[in-house]
Amino acid sequence: MGLLPDEAKVLPPPGIVNRNSVWFGLCGWATAMLHNSLNRRPALKAGLHRQALFITVGWFIGYHLTKFENYKYATLDRDMSEYIRLHPEEFPDKGNSTWKSSRIRVLISVLRFSLY
Amino acid sequence: MPVGRLFLKTSAVSKMFSRNSFIASKPDPSKPNMLRVGLAFGSTAVLWALLFKQHRTDVHEYKTRNGLE
Repeated sequence: MGLLPDEAKVLPPPGIVNRNSVWFGLCGWATAMLHNSLNRRPALKAGLHRQALFITVGWFIGYHLTKFENYKYATLDRDMSEYIRLHPEEFPDKGNSTWKSSRIRVLISVLRFSLY
Repeated sequence: MPVGRLFLKTSAVSKMFSRNSFIASKPDPSKPNMLRVGLAFGSTAVLWALLFKQHRTDVHEYKTRNGLE
């Protein structure tokens, strides 16, 4: 893990087949097919070595990206849980949350989406 | 040169850069460059091997750190 700290190893690793791998693999395959088409070769039947290489590169990048993504989400969840633990007055047990706690939850989920 | 023409190598000779006319040839699909093909398949195999090795290491690390093994 080059860009991941040591604590990230506590997290369960993604499977070989994971969302980013499949997507990047498909993107790599599409790139290879586009390369064939632009050079006036049959899209699927030509340059199989190129198709295999591009799919593999995409799959590889996707695996490490999934690991990185899992770590980032885990740190965000940890920070959110820590905040909730330190400010119990804003998260009452019964029924409706306070305005402030619901705003904080929305903010954290938005930040999760942007992956700060 | 119209932009569309840049995407079509119909003449198989690009007008953008010059090539030595003594050795230039059209790319021939029936005679593949086996070195390049071999390197491509070789690096594919290497990448898959690296991926499986990394995954195995990750699973082992996860199990050791969480005391599951």
